[in-house]
Amino acid sequence: MNDHNVYQTNNSETEETPEQAQQEREKEMQDDEEELHKLLLPNVHDLPLTPPSAIDFNFVAYFAPDFLKPGHDQYVYRHANGLCVIGLAPTHVAFKDEGGITAVDFNVGKSDRSGFKVTGKRKKNAQHFESNTAVCKVCTNNDSYIVRCCVKGSLLEVNNRLIKQPGLLNSSADREGYIAIIMPKPADWLKIKSSLLGLEDYKRKREECFGSS
Amino acid sequence: MANETEDAPTNSASESHATSADVERNPTDEDKNEKLLNDAVQFLPTDAVKDLLSKEVCLRCIFRLFGMQVPICSSLSVKSLLCHVLGEQADLHQNISSVEPNICRSCLGILQFTYCGDKERVVENESACDFAVAIAELVKKEGHQIDSFSLEVSMPPTILENENKLSLYVKRKYRSEAWFKDRSISECSSTKDALKFALTNPLETLLDVKCGISTFHIRLTYSRVEASIRIQNFVEKIEGCKRRKVDAKNCLDTVKDKSAITGVENSVVSTTEVIPVDEKSSNGLQDNEPSETHEFPLKKVNEPCRLECLCFRTPIYFGGRYLKYSRNVSQTRWIIDEERMGEASIEEIIGGNILPMCRGDSYKFHAAGREDIDVRMLGSGRPFLFEIQNAREVPSELLVKEIESKINSLENKLVRVKNLKIVGSQGWTLMREGEAEKQKQYAALVWISRPLQDEDFQTISSLKETQILQKTPIRVLHRRSPLEREKIINWMKIEKIAGSSQYFLLHMCTQAGTYIKEFVHGDLGRTNPSIGSILGCRAEILQLDVTDVKMNCFLTE
Repeated sequence: MNDHNVYQTNNSETEETPEQAQQEREKEMQDDEEELHKLLLPNVHDLPLTPPSAIDFNFVAYFAPDFLKPGHDQYVYRHANGLCVIGLAPTHVAFKDEGGITAVDFNVGKSDRSGFKVTGKRKKNAQHFESNTAVCKVCTNNDSYIVRCCVKGSLLEVNNRLIKQPGLLNSSADREGYIAIIMPKPADWLKIKSSLLGLEDYKRKREECFGSS
Repeated sequence: MANETEDAPTNSASESHATSADVERNPTDEDKNEKLLNDAVQFLPTDAVKDLLSKEVCLRCIFRLFGMQVPICSSLSVKSLLCHVLGEQADLHQNISSVEPNICRSCLGILQFTYCGDKERVVENESACDFAVAIAELVKKEGHQIDSFSLEVSMPPTILENENKLSLYVKRKYRSEAWFKDRSISECSSTKDALKFALTNPLETLLDVKCGISTFHIRLTYSRVEASIRIQNFVEKIEGCKRRKVDAKNCLDTVKDKSAITGVENSVVSTTEVIPVDEKSSNGLQDNEPSETHEFPLKKVNEPCRLECLCFRTPIYFGGRYLKYSRNVSQTRWIIDEERMGEASIEEIIGGNILPMCRGDSYKFHAAGREDIDVRMLGSGRPFLFEIQNAREVPSELLVKEIESKINSLENKLVRVKNLKIVGSQGWTLMREGEAEKQKQYAALVWISRPLQDEDFQTISSLKETQILQKTPIRVLHRRSPLEREKIINWMKIEKIAGSSQYFLLHMCTQAGTYIKEFVHGDLGRTNPSIGSILGCRAEILQLDVTDVKMNCFLTE
């Protein structure tokens, strides 16, 4: 390995000229770079056609169909570290309205959810929400729908981008169009988990929307 | 330096510890020292010496009080000399022993080499050499390989107070004497210095190394035993008592002790104020001096100090760079719910090989940054520092190279070490220097949701010193502050992968602290811009490797 080469070079340097030593070093560097490059290149045959997305990989997806109201389907993506990302599931009734979602308003309930600031590792000032607390309101041309917390816990963040870009919900509700991030206590998560559906169960329940997929 | 001497005819020499006798052999020095001692002793003011002895001040404290070198030889020979000078009968050993106090009121037995050791046993050493032997044995027992040592002594604050009180007492009492005017009492050495002086030469001889500034420390910590704390509590209860209302001896003792505890510098004065004038047979001593003369300011001591002797080496540091070839090895030991994450850790692989060679107690691992368990560390490697606590042995350069080879030839080839060597404390500063400006180079295996196009290469390459805004990634948001951090992407380059249109290698150089994975996949839009947003499609990262940590430390020379 390279260490071995270094030893040899050190020993023979005393007999070489400075130019030769320099050449040796350069060659060594080249060899190192080539070796590095070999390590970096993947074996193409091992690469999947479509890799799992960052979400698929890091989160477990749960669904809450008809949450408090029929057609209000929401998702809860839970990360291994316990944080939950909530948003509108693709079968949410709001998407059925023509023109899709046109506006998002976080000023619901007693305060504007987009206004507060959570600070520090201990997440000071985070508001504690129940699962049925309203997080925001999404509006379409016809109607408006309340989006709920789904998981009891501290509200760490809401997706402010939705205020200026409500279209994100139409294009990628499961990624850039997420609604908020909640931090539940382990005990609270266990309680709500039992009432949520996994991906397969959710698909089966909403068969008609998914058709033959 | 001259070796220790002992008067040959004295009994204690042959009875004392074998090694102590070795230390004391050297006829010419012996004679010289004896002569010096004799001469010095001639100048001692007999009255003052007798007075101090009667006040339970030990011989060595008397010597140091009068600015003389504390004799290192055995107490017995000192005593016999003294008696000779004082005109007493030298063969009445009982007299000599009774003349010197059991435990000195000033040094609390420290300069009499008496202390309370393990298991509360009182140890009395005849000479500094005996004491040194006990210390040297501790060093040898621990198996330390040393080339020097530094001697540290810590004493309870009472000692300093006692020294001051004693000097003041002598000054007051004898300031009109001729001999007092000739010599300055301020020449007197402190108890601490006297002890260190007494022990240094014997220790140097026994350990065969010099005393001075060293990484190896011998620390002697003297502390008072519990009894004094009890008295202190009692004293606090009778705060402000200036007249005796209770039994004479108790009150006086406690009041005197109180002033000792409150540590008033000029306590000689205040003590005499506090003690009622009509007090007699005050300090429970056998002396009969009239009470008009000053009361002796120091309390009787019944127990010697407790001594804790510690020998240890200050931490030594190993610096170098490590490479991580595995995607299943964490940087530090990572256990969750008693289960280890990953199959091994860098710190255990490297530390586990360094620690035994130093025979140290434990190690601490520090690295210049870190990478995720599934990210390889390649290229020039990442600088690290191992701090080894209390190493019994400092490995030679050759041995350090052997340690490096050993780690690099481990069968599983998970980790590699480069440029391992022992560094001084500058290793720390090297690692911390320029930490914020540190740049790192990465190679990421990226997939995009559409085929790569020619323009993409240019789009990516043309971006230099691009600023991005990263909200705290969701994957660490549970334990880090929710912040928005500005980071710089210095440069980027796409390398095509033969055989694939949607996979490519992304090489980039970024500011320290940038979350690379989030920069690629966008973290639900919370990192802006991201590769996905730049290329206008969805991007995912499959693998990440660190290819260079641009820091100027522990590099190949």
